[in-house]
Amino acid sequence: MGVVTRKKLFSIIALGAMVVALLLPIVMALPSPATGEEAPAAEGAQKEGEKVEKARDVYYKTEGIVVGAPAPKTTDGPADYPRYNFESRVLLWFANQQHLYYGSFVLAVPIFCMIIEFMGVVTKDKALAKRYDQLAYDFIKISLTAYSLTAILGGILIFTFLTLYPTFFSYLSSIFRPVMHIYALMFVAESGTLYIYYYGWDKMKEGFLKWIHLSMSVILNVIGTLLMFLANSWIGFMMSPAGVDEQGRYLGNIWHVIHTALWNPLNLHRILGNMAFGGGVVAAYAAYKFLAAKTDEERAHYDWMGYIAMALGVAFLIPLPFAGYWLMREVYAYRQQMGITLMGGLLAWLFIIQATMIGILFLSTNYYLWQAMGRMRGAEKYQRYIKYLVFLLACGFMVFITPHTMVMTPAELKAMGGQQHPVLGNYGVMSAKNGGINVIITTTVLSFVWYMRGNKISTVSWARFGNIFMGVFFACAYINIIFLAIYGYYIPANVRVGLSVPQVATTLSCLFFMFTLNSMMMKGAKQLGPIEWGKISARSQYALIMLATAFTWMMGLMGYIRSSVRLFWHVNEIMRDNSPWAYTHTVGFAANVISANVLFFWISILFVFWLGSLTAKKAPVEAKVGVPGAIPQPAGSH
Amino acid sequence: MKALMSLGALVGVVGLLLLAGMIFDVIPSNTIRLVEGYMPMQMLFEVGCYVLGFTGLSYMLNAMGMGIPRFWQGIGFWIFFLLYIKYRVYPPIPFSVRAMYGTVGLVAVLMWVSANEEDWKKFKQPILNVLDAQTGFNKVLRYVYLVALPILTWGFSYNAMMPKSEEPIELRTVHPAPPASTKVHGKTYVLQTSLNPYRVNPEGKYDQEYSNSLIVEQGMGRLMKPNANPWDEKAEGYLKYVREGGEIFFQNCHFCHGDNLNGRGLHAFAFNPIPANFTDPGTIAQLQETFIFWRVAKGGIGLPNEGFPWASVMPPWEQHLTVDEMWKVILFEYWHTGYYPRTWD
Repeated sequence: MGVVTRKKLFSIIALGAMVVALLLPIVMALPSPATGEEAPAAEGAQKEGEKVEKARDVYYKTEGIVVGAPAPKTTDGPADYPRYNFESRVLLWFANQQHLYYGSFVLAVPIFCMIIEFMGVVTKDKALAKRYDQLAYDFIKISLTAYSLTAILGGILIFTFLTLYPTFFSYLSSIFRPVMHIYALMFVAESGTLYIYYYGWDKMKEGFLKWIHLSMSVILNVIGTLLMFLANSWIGFMMSPAGVDEQGRYLGNIWHVIHTALWNPLNLHRILGNMAFGGGVVAAYAAYKFLAAKTDEERAHYDWMGYIAMALGVAFLIPLPFAGYWLMREVYAYRQQMGITLMGGLLAWLFIIQATMIGILFLSTNYYLWQAMGRMRGAEKYQRYIKYLVFLLACGFMVFITPHTMVMTPAELKAMGGQQHPVLGNYGVMSAKNGGINVIITTTVLSFVWYMRGNKISTVSWARFGNIFMGVFFACAYINIIFLAIYGYYIPANVRVGLSVPQVATTLSCLFFMFTLNSMMMKGAKQLGPIEWGKISARSQYALIMLATAFTWMMGLMGYIRSSVRLFWHVNEIMRDNSPWAYTHTVGFAANVISANVLFFWISILFVFWLGSLTAKKAPVEAKVGVPGAIPQPAGSH
Repeated sequence: MKALMSLGALVGVVGLLLLAGMIFDVIPSNTIRLVEGYMPMQMLFEVGCYVLGFTGLSYMLNAMGMGIPRFWQGIGFWIFFLLYIKYRVYPPIPFSVRAMYGTVGLVAVLMWVSANEEDWKKFKQPILNVLDAQTGFNKVLRYVYLVALPILTWGFSYNAMMPKSEEPIELRTVHPAPPASTKVHGKTYVLQTSLNPYRVNPEGKYDQEYSNSLIVEQGMGRLMKPNANPWDEKAEGYLKYVREGGEIFFQNCHFCHGDNLNGRGLHAFAFNPIPANFTDPGTIAQLQETFIFWRVAKGGIGLPNEGFPWASVMPPWEQHLTVDEMWKVILFEYWHTGYYPRTWD
């Protein structure tokens, strides 16, 4: 009893320490007269008689006292752009991308852990609860090694900035000086919290202590998310500066600098993107382990792990296009030319590649679900209809990737009789593309519904009515989406933009209502057979690897697009990039660099996985269950 | 069910015959026309009908004990699709897009044939049979592949590496990003905020809602609204400016852009690409009015770097027209096509 009390005490102290660690940066950020620091206004008052220069915020249009130096006017030379015999921009690109990959991964995985650990705590089935707990632990174990690598890559990134772009970096640091130490302290808080969370797992595995442990994961994720928000404010400032005047002089309001026009959409898009990416990477890890597994138990465990990771990743992938849509809308609202450069101009071809990657993500997900139906008895009844889903997906995909401006030879252009193809040209505009992607997502929802009811027969009295209702609901959803996509051609562009709302609402209605209805119908359903974990085709695992690779490639691509849209500006319209690399790369070159980044990430993360497997090998193996369909047990334990 | 499948089979057979006729030029590809305005959906609908037709055909052949092996179903459908996009759709689809569609088609076929273990086994069995070469026929086939595959690879490589005299592929940006502002006749116009001074209501105030209510009706015929005839001598305000814009258009622009504003003017086919088709929903309908103003004023010569290869012969109209004339001609273009300029609210 005494031991338990002591544990409780320690755990509460640990939790308290985390809360303090979380609040510490905020406390540190408060201006304190005791330390001699004074607000600019007070300073102004003190130096009475001295002329105070005021200027107007470029974005908020408010007046503020100038407290910073103007953005430096750089020149191409060793002072502003020292270099090796290599393109500095590509070096920075590489360092940045690798840091982002790992950063996203270590921010996403603890969120999964939190969700899965919570599921384990609230699940009444003890065996299932243990599985969830083990899975959450497996997840955090993977992220721990990656965490060290993230910190190392962050250091490399800063050194790259200081070495290759010292003037620009010093300007940016001068603007963000009031919150720089908060960023560093947040990082310390994140590290400390993560280590306590990980190493305290076994000690706090039951009862009240488990809840404390779960609370720690919440704090861990709050810190991680705030950290990401701060990092996002840098890129938000570079794209859509605020809090400075036209010369780039800081006006004393750090909130304006952080809270730029694109900060919030970027935050949302990155949270969702990180989660989808994290899910993809963990799913790929599970797929790799599945393919390398030597026993049925291992296969069963990693099959299940892959499924959960994929489901979580896809849960965040589905709203991602809508968050992206919001971001683009805000970009257009901020600067029309920036929006056109992105979606209709210089970078439009990269968006076609992006559309292709999005399509691949959804196609892989559907394919995985169809394969997964193969491991449950009773799901055969849906197999014959899969070809129609393939048709819907393929049609949606083709519309989604059709470029507005086609690549063609002048002879083809002449044969076509104009820049726009009279048939396919219409697929190139947003109205059709919205229809295409919504058809794809709705079909994915339908695949999920089939998967969830694959081995079950509903026993509720209204099952027949429920099935008819679901069928009609999906049919109406498809009709509505396609109708709105066509109708979009007959109305003005600004109204057409608004049509995406009912289309999205239709898709989301399918997602929420159909999932809810399906769950209600399947409550107490008759099982035709258990899910035989581990008895899934190898092809499904390759689909998971494909999913993760597509995520990684797409993240690299979108990062490049977002950064390139500034064209020849370090800070848009404030600080010009005068290095020899202030031009936009060709599509082919960019694609090669992105591929190299993806390759490096996957090779390095394989190393991380291998390191993780070393600790697992040392750990004792728990009791194994060999009966197919029984609860899968992990290969290693903690 | 059987009757339905028979109908499907009939559709499949007739569709295949029609396509074969189009491929061998026995039947002109416009025999069954793609109806203007509905072509994109018609194409998808037709492919959907083919899918249903083939399903029926497969069902009927199975019932007659003449089922086509899954391997040949998959390969056959893919080949059908490639032929469809090459021969059915007119004008011809550029190769880059056909390659994209062909890849999607191949992926879709592979997803279908490998969606479950049983189908996948059926699909790969003929391949395994050839690789195992248990029968004489398969043995011969394996040797054929052994010789043919390297030759094919060599042929593709040779073709890819061989220098060609064809014109290079162009990655043209049709709507390059405009500058934040543009200077015309000494005055600077901010593109995000500038307004057409002639888009006004009877009180003389800028009113897009009012002007939108007077444009021609979308749909067949593009008919004028009642009491909204700019050529009525009594027309005042917005409609009068539209008429003035129209006069300027027919004095200067219609030679290239056409009297129906569809890019098919008298001189249009002397250029490649032909001039912009304003009736297409992908041109002025999705651009801000100030974007058009900038393009008209600066012409092809004023296109920014990203407008490479600057394939536009439009003159910089600021050298020939006044600012007012340019605004009026833009007003006319929107009125005539029945589109509204894009706004961000």
